[in-house]
Amino acid sequence: MDKSLHVIFMYGLTQLGFIFFFYSGDIIASTSEGHWLAIIIGLVLNGAMVWLYMKGLGYFPQQDIISIYTGLGKGAAVLFLLPLIFFLFITNIITIRAFSEAITLIFLANTPLWAIMALIIIISGYIALNGVESIFRTGVLLAILFLPVILFTICISFQNVDFRYFFPIMDEKLTFLTKPPYWHSFSAFAGSFLFLGFIQPYVAYRPRIVMITVAALVPFYFISVYVPLFTFGQSTASTFKFPFIVLMSTIHINWLMFDRITMFLLLCLVTFTMLFISMVLWKLSQVLHRCLPKVKSSYFVIVIAAVNFIGCLFITNWDEIQSLIMWNTMLRFYVLVGIPCSIWLIGIRSRRMIKDEGA
Amino acid sequence: MRALKLLIAAMLVMVLSGCWDNIDINHRVLPVVMGVSKHDGNYLIYLQIPEQVQNSTQIKIVKGTGSTINHAVDLISANLEDRVDLLHIKVIVLDKKYAEEGLEDTISDFMRGRDVSPKTLVTICDEDMDAFFSSVRKKMGPKGTTLYDFFEKNAGWNPQIALTRVWEVYRSIHSYTRDVAIPIIRSGDTTVVQHVGSAVIKEGRMVSQISSEETLLFNAFQRESTQGKIEVMNHASVLVIGNSLAVHTRMDGGNPVLRSKLKLKVVIMETKDHPTSDMIMKELNESLTHQFNQMFAKLQESEADILGIGQYFRRQIPRSELKEWRTTFYPKLKLELQVQTIIENTGFLELK
Repeated sequence: MDKSLHVIFMYGLTQLGFIFFFYSGDIIASTSEGHWLAIIIGLVLNGAMVWLYMKGLGYFPQQDIISIYTGLGKGAAVLFLLPLIFFLFITNIITIRAFSEAITLIFLANTPLWAIMALIIIISGYIALNGVESIFRTGVLLAILFLPVILFTICISFQNVDFRYFFPIMDEKLTFLTKPPYWHSFSAFAGSFLFLGFIQPYVAYRPRIVMITVAALVPFYFISVYVPLFTFGQSTASTFKFPFIVLMSTIHINWLMFDRITMFLLLCLVTFTMLFISMVLWKLSQVLHRCLPKVKSSYFVIVIAAVNFIGCLFITNWDEIQSLIMWNTMLRFYVLVGIPCSIWLIGIRSRRMIKDEGA
Repeated sequence: MRALKLLIAAMLVMVLSGCWDNIDINHRVLPVVMGVSKHDGNYLIYLQIPEQVQNSTQIKIVKGTGSTINHAVDLISANLEDRVDLLHIKVIVLDKKYAEEGLEDTISDFMRGRDVSPKTLVTICDEDMDAFFSSVRKKMGPKGTTLYDFFEKNAGWNPQIALTRVWEVYRSIHSYTRDVAIPIIRSGDTTVVQHVGSAVIKEGRMVSQISSEETLLFNAFQRESTQGKIEVMNHASVLVIGNSLAVHTRMDGGNPVLRSKLKLKVVIMETKDHPTSDMIMKELNESLTHQFNQMFAKLQESEADILGIGQYFRRQIPRSELKEWRTTFYPKLKLELQVQTIIENTGFLELK
């Protein structure tokens, strides 16, 4: 059965969580003028990689990327999958930790961090335990419940904009390419599209619709960066850790009975991120299950969740999260560029082999 | 097994609710107005707290001193029977002397902390804070929101009052091309507060002051609606019902030049000595242009760009030079304002 709708909701929601939390801050920190160029470079790379990834996967109908890599032989599988496992693991820890930090910063000041992290990981783990179908069903439910809220908050975020902050337009030297915050901004892309390669045996989807989703998400990247810029200006916006969240707390609406609209945005984004975390847990459990087929994959979910939680407890402050994100840079680019390209190349090679055999 | 699962789920609800060390609403005090003043390096904090006393609300003013704002609030909280919660502060009243020293630390702390919302209104008090708050307590109505309503757009706000929030002051501290005006108030003779004018804030420090008439022009220049303001002249008084602004900028060999046209739509309210409509228009144009030029000269001298004129030049000046907007370009700026009045109607009577 075609489940493209489930797939694109999943893809869109997990992206939104990252866009409004981290992406805007990273881009604003990486350059002081001409942000649009920085955004476009990232988006083009992302679009090309998603396309390449799906093109490569198209050569192997009904196979996930684990079996594609293991098809090459054991050595190759370890070579390709081991960095992936590390990446997913570290990403999960960073995401859980950073989001719980943000939650304490913004509203749960008295709640200890471990309790928030436990909340996030238990709920995500529970969703992941029920398998990939339940993750997708949750995605659709969250989309119906929260997408209207997100769209509403985005609309009203334009309240205090001053479009003249768009100038100056160009950063001629492209200095942002060498700045670490710019590399970090790619974490919004990496990891989000990977699941397309894991779900092939379970869920059918049309690549064309996924590409349309990629295009439909483009405005959100610009909004997340430019609305804070238009409101505060670069030199003010760069002093904020989460520019878009601060922006939301400056919105003043008389007729709305709620005083702090930030809360709506934040809670929606947290649920989206829980979805992302459960997806990562499921992906990890799939890879590990393939290595040790005797153990049930649900046990892996529990073990991984527990290890992630312990890992999170070891991070004591925001700087450590930052340095962890820094270490993850290499792996991030491997996942963003290496995996789609390798899948594509393997796909081409296998097709040639089939052709040769046929001839 | 099923029962066990349910039990675990129920226990998780207890642990994961997020209600940690929660203090119930009846054990919190929620101040509406906070006054900040500084004496000999110590902060003096005033909190105006509405209190429920048998079906009616009374206003309590509490005062505390500390080396930081949080320290002072903490001391107040320790001395009160309830916990002080700054989440619902609507107006921050700053001492004028303190504003002249510079607000950067205070405003940055408000932005950093999660307690005080960035959209809280900021005002400056022109008199001794003790006197101000004791007068406010005597005169304020039972709801305790008078100070807030005074600035609320759908309540008591008037177009000659500048409306500035914490985040805008914060932006003024960091932005290259943008400053703000903060309304100045003092306790009134018969009313709770009296509007005096606006403080001109440059990079978080009060450098000058403009009158409420000038604030109206400032608001009109911000494209803020000046609807409802009555303008009195020698021959007539008119009601402003609409305003629009057109701006044209150019660089004249390194000197910024800004030409602007302010269109005012007015309705005639009163006349003296049978003026013609041309006379009224001419008089209004001249008096407003004169007033504006006077205000602008004052602003230029203080190097505070509260009109946000630098914003219009972001396209012409590269960012590296924009940094020096306030010191290099702004004093050289030539501003030509043309006021154009349109008399929309003259009421039921014709002008002769």
